[in-house]
Amino acid sequence: MSNTTNTTGPQRDKLVSVWNDQIKMRVRIAGNGPPLVYFHPAAGLYWDAFVDGLARDYTVYAPELPGTTPGDAYAIYKVDEYSDLILIYEEVLRKLGLKGAVAVGQSMGGMIACDLAAAYPDLFSKLVCLAPSGLWRDDAPPAVAELYSSAPEKIPSFVFHDPSLPGAQAMFALPENPAEIPKAIAQNVWTLGCAGKWMWPFPEHGLRGRLYRITAPTLVLWGKQDRLMPAALAGEFEAGIGNCQVKLFDDCGHVLQIEKLDQALADVRGFLG
Amino acid sequence: MKVLSFQQLPYRHLPNDFASKYDSIVTTPYFDLVDPKLMHQDHNHFLDEMLHAARCGFDGVGTTEHGQASYDILPNPNMQMAALAYATQSEGLTTALACLGRALGKTREPLRIAEEYSVIDQISGGRMIAGFPISLSWDSNLNAGIAPIDTRPRFAENIALIDKAMKSKESFAWNGRFNKYSNVNIWPRPVQPSMPVWSPAVGNPNTLAGILDRDQVFLYFSWFGPKLTGRVFDRYWDMAEERGRDRNPYRLAFLQCVAVAETDEEAHRVYGPHVKAAFNTGLGSIPMSSLSIPGYMDINGVEHVVKDPGDFGMFPIMRTASYEQIVDAQACIVGGVDTVAEQLIELVKERRIGNLLLMVQHGSMPTELTKQNISLLAEKVMPRLRAAWQDAGFADENWEHKWWPTGLPK
Repeated sequence: MSNTTNTTGPQRDKLVSVWNDQIKMRVRIAGNGPPLVYFHPAAGLYWDAFVDGLARDYTVYAPELPGTTPGDAYAIYKVDEYSDLILIYEEVLRKLGLKGAVAVGQSMGGMIACDLAAAYPDLFSKLVCLAPSGLWRDDAPPAVAELYSSAPEKIPSFVFHDPSLPGAQAMFALPENPAEIPKAIAQNVWTLGCAGKWMWPFPEHGLRGRLYRITAPTLVLWGKQDRLMPAALAGEFEAGIGNCQVKLFDDCGHVLQIEKLDQALADVRGFLG
Repeated sequence: MKVLSFQQLPYRHLPNDFASKYDSIVTTPYFDLVDPKLMHQDHNHFLDEMLHAARCGFDGVGTTEHGQASYDILPNPNMQMAALAYATQSEGLTTALACLGRALGKTREPLRIAEEYSVIDQISGGRMIAGFPISLSWDSNLNAGIAPIDTRPRFAENIALIDKAMKSKESFAWNGRFNKYSNVNIWPRPVQPSMPVWSPAVGNPNTLAGILDRDQVFLYFSWFGPKLTGRVFDRYWDMAEERGRDRNPYRLAFLQCVAVAETDEEAHRVYGPHVKAAFNTGLGSIPMSSLSIPGYMDINGVEHVVKDPGDFGMFPIMRTASYEQIVDAQACIVGGVDTVAEQLIELVKERRIGNLLLMVQHGSMPTELTKQNISLLAEKVMPRLRAAWQDAGFADENWEHKWWPTGLPK
């Protein structure tokens, strides 16, 4: 997504060579405090006010899913399996020396953070998941396929309870220069396509059976009106993770860090101490 | 030239307000819309009509595959092809059987497709044409649950596996990303040593490059309106030259919707409502966004389409298109014998079409009218097409048709 809000944004990038040097993973970085790893959602790394807010207290490291970094679209073809993806992220964090960092993940990023925390219980000191994907319930099915096959104009109301919010409008804004629009749209579509490798037709890779391995204290935040990842799934995380607290927001859709920016930041700060 | 009769299998009794209430794919509610006796009837009429076309002297009959769709109820067209293979064989007809085809970006069982094609080739004595489309995004991704970004890699692996499975003299092991087999040795193998392959595509340069490099036939479905999409063929023939292929017209198969009567007036009167319903409730009721779910199309392809959506012709307005718009774009050629013949001949000459598929049934068209269309095309239009092919000089150029079924070994 194009970033047109008044955010500071990333301050520097680091390319980390992983997967036997087949992938150069771009990690966007901002801030100066203790390390915090931010795992972006399927729509790609959108440096919003929430991430900016995290960077006021922490050094935020935000790795980009292979294939979603502009100019390196085909890196996605180097990753065959979801289990390989988890190894790749672990390698990035290890090479950056981020063991013991705080992890914050949104939607798909929440699923990846959970799987890393389950596979490597000592990797994160604390874990925050914002409407994470990864679980399925027959009576609360994630609507990923519906989102992906929706007409573009329907997507804002799919992921926001109130799509008229300035933050919501900004997230979907296209470049002002018309000549740049096709490339921007292609990048957005491709980013979803790359994430679709793990999200399609719905993101369920057996995480439920691995949740018990997560030992890091965990906070799960969710919007009650989330149409993409139903809030009923929050209780499944709470039940599966040993040390997990859940908070639900009223009048809030999937992108809670924009829709409830202040509350979300306050809750995360409170939890992280 | 070769002229084939082509049909999809729509449910012919949809309500008039269908297009405003339902999509024609994936979510179409079966029990709300279908009378079981009429569904049964449609399936048998489809076979009756295909057999009628074979008896009328068409060089071949063709179908496509789509799952979970009200406009083309052929989840496995090999079942119909097997019935037609036996029926034509028992009558001594030499009609080619063009299954256009089995969707290889969608299937998790490519060897089963190789086996089925081989069985049809055996029953028919070597009359099979194998179609290998990538598959439409909604069919492979929404219906079959294939991750969109895996559609094309799956296609590429499946087509390589099928080709090897059909031709290999020895059994072999296959360790692919999507298929793992310790022993591939399909029974039967096809009658034909090299089954002709026709690959449907809408004109994406990457897809055309693959078709040319594999030396297959490019099959174009002109539903989006050939008057609006003519540039695809300039692109195709230019690419053929660039990639060292000749301009053999048999490299191109072109599907055109047609509805012919004795006069223009009669044709518009008897076919008009069916043609309009076909486009509005069939292709038109496929949501645009389900044709290219993120990941299905390469990033450069998306950028190209956003800049210039011309290859999609009238598709964006097809759900509400008027009959006049459909006919004006030539998405369906409707008219008397002269009108239909002249428009088809112009297309054949301009586009260098060696294989012309005529789609003869549209939406709600009943079986007697469909058979009338087929008969008139065979009797009065086909001879003029063949004569025009001679006039155009294509016959004198002595092009070899390397992509036509060879029959039983002599």
